[in-house]
Amino acid sequence: MSARVFVVAAGATSFGPMPDVDGHELARQAVCAALESSGIDPAEIGIACAGHAYQGPCFGQKALMKIGLTGMPIVNVENACASGATAVQTVVNAIRAGQAEVGLALGAEKLTKPGGGFLPIVADDLESSMGRVMPAAFAMIARLHMERYGTTPEQMAGVAVKNRRNALRNPRCHLQKAVSVEEVLDAPMIADPLTRYSCCPVSDGAAAILIASEGAARRLCDAPVEIAASVLNSGLRTPYGIVDDRSEMSIRAANRAYEAAGVGPEDVDVCEMHDPFTIAELVHYEDLGFCAPGEAGRMIEEGRTEIGGDVAVSPSGGLLAKGHPLGATGVAQIAELFWQLRGEAGEYQVPGARVGLAHTVGGGVTKLESGACAVHILTA
Amino acid sequence: MPLRDGLFVDGAGGRAPKLLGSRCRETGAVYFPAEIMNPDTHRTGTMEQVEIDGRGRLVSYTVVARGLPGFESPYALGVIALDAGPSMIAQLADWDADNLKCGMPVEMTIGTIKTGKDGTRYVGPKFRPLDERTA
Repeated sequence: MSARVFVVAAGATSFGPMPDVDGHELARQAVCAALESSGIDPAEIGIACAGHAYQGPCFGQKALMKIGLTGMPIVNVENACASGATAVQTVVNAIRAGQAEVGLALGAEKLTKPGGGFLPIVADDLESSMGRVMPAAFAMIARLHMERYGTTPEQMAGVAVKNRRNALRNPRCHLQKAVSVEEVLDAPMIADPLTRYSCCPVSDGAAAILIASEGAARRLCDAPVEIAASVLNSGLRTPYGIVDDRSEMSIRAANRAYEAAGVGPEDVDVCEMHDPFTIAELVHYEDLGFCAPGEAGRMIEEGRTEIGGDVAVSPSGGLLAKGHPLGATGVAQIAELFWQLRGEAGEYQVPGARVGLAHTVGGGVTKLESGACAVHILTA
Repeated sequence: MPLRDGLFVDGAGGRAPKLLGSRCRETGAVYFPAEIMNPDTHRTGTMEQVEIDGRGRLVSYTVVARGLPGFESPYALGVIALDAGPSMIAQLADWDADNLKCGMPVEMTIGTIKTGKDGTRYVGPKFRPLDERTA
C-alpha cells in the first residue's frame, strides 16, 4: 500500500495567446499563484518537476530561479501532451518514496507564434513527415467511430457546444464565446469531419500544484485533496497507430486507477479529460467507463455530461475552450479538480463533487497508439 | 528525392513499386517500416529486408483542407491495411472526396509527399483508390 499524498495548493495563468510573455514568466506566475493562494512557504518545497514539450533545456530551473527556488532536485519531463501529468506523477512518486515531504509539479508551454496553426512536423516520425497532423489523425478516428456506431457530426459538435458554454463561466479560458451546433458544422473544415470549432485553439499557459505527504498536508492545508490514484502508461504497438474507435491505453490506465482508488466510473462526479478534438471527448467517455462503447453520442445528446449531469465532463471548458498549452494541461487539470473538490470552482462548480478524474494522452508515434497516457483520481 | 531512404523501391520496367520492410526469419512476421530487431520477440539478428506488395484496403481516411507549408492542399490521408499484413498511414493519390469509402481497395504508387522551401520534391508511397470491380 503506497503512502498517501495530497494536493495542497494550485495556481494557473489564463490560457490564450500571450506573445509578450515568455514561458519562464508564465511558469513563475503559476507557481506564485499557488504559493500566494495557499500561504505555503516556498522553503517547504523539497523537489520540483517541470513538464513541457518544446520549452528547451533546464526549463524548470530557469523558471524557478526567478522565485529563488534553487538547490533542490529539479526534474524536467517530456511526454508530449501528457508532459504535465507526467510531472505530477513524478512528484507523487518522489513523495511516496520519501524523497521529500512537499513537492512542486509545474507545467507550461508557449505555442503561439506568427503563423500559428498545427504543431510542427516531427522529422524523425514517418507518419508526421507524410503530413499526418493531429487533426487528421482524430478525423480518421471520427470516421471509424461514425462507421461503427453511427455517431453523427451533430453529436460531435455537441461537445464543442457544451465546453464553449462552460467556458463562459471560467475567465481563464482562451475561448470565451459560445457556439451552436450549426456554427460548429459550418465553420471552416480543418480535416473532414473536424471543423475549426471541433479543434482546440493554439494557446500559451502554465499551471502549478503543490503535493504533500499526509503529515505535511495536514500541517499546511485546511482541506487537502487526496491523490487516490496516479497512473502512467505508454501505448502499445498497434496496426493503425492512434486511429481506432477506442483508446486501449486510456482503458488500461483508467482500470488501474479505479482499482488503486477503490472507486468505479459511476462514482466520478467531475472529469477533466483529453479533449483536444470533439471526437476525443466522446471516445474517452467510453474508454473511462462513463458509458458503454458506442453510447457516447447518446450520452452527450442527453446532457449527461453537463454540470449537474451524471458526470460533469470538462466543466472548466476543457482543452477545446481553454486551449492546450501542452505541458500546462496535465497540471491544470489537477488544479481544476483541486478547486472543484474544495468547492472553490466558483461559477462552474460541480455541486457536491467528491471524486474527480483527470485524463490525458500524448505523443504521436508511428506504430504506437500514442506515447503516454496518465489518469489521476482525486478525492475530497 | 525520396522522403527517406529505404522506404520503397520504384517500379521500373513495368514493375509495380513496392514498400521495403522487414521479415523475421524465425516467426515469418512482416513489418513496415523496417525494424532493426523483432519487437515482438525482442530478439536481434533475425530480420531481413523484404519487398512488400502495395495493394490493400482503406481502413479510414480524411481530407486535410490546408496543410503545413510544403504540403499541397487539400490532400487526403488514409490508414491502409496492406494485403501483405502491415498497415500504414499515407497520403492518397488520384482521389475524389465524394468517392472515398472505408474498406475500398487501394494500390500503392509513388508521388510527391511534400515540397521543400528550396523547391525539392520529396516523393514516397501514396495510395490510389481502385474501382472495386477492377481491384
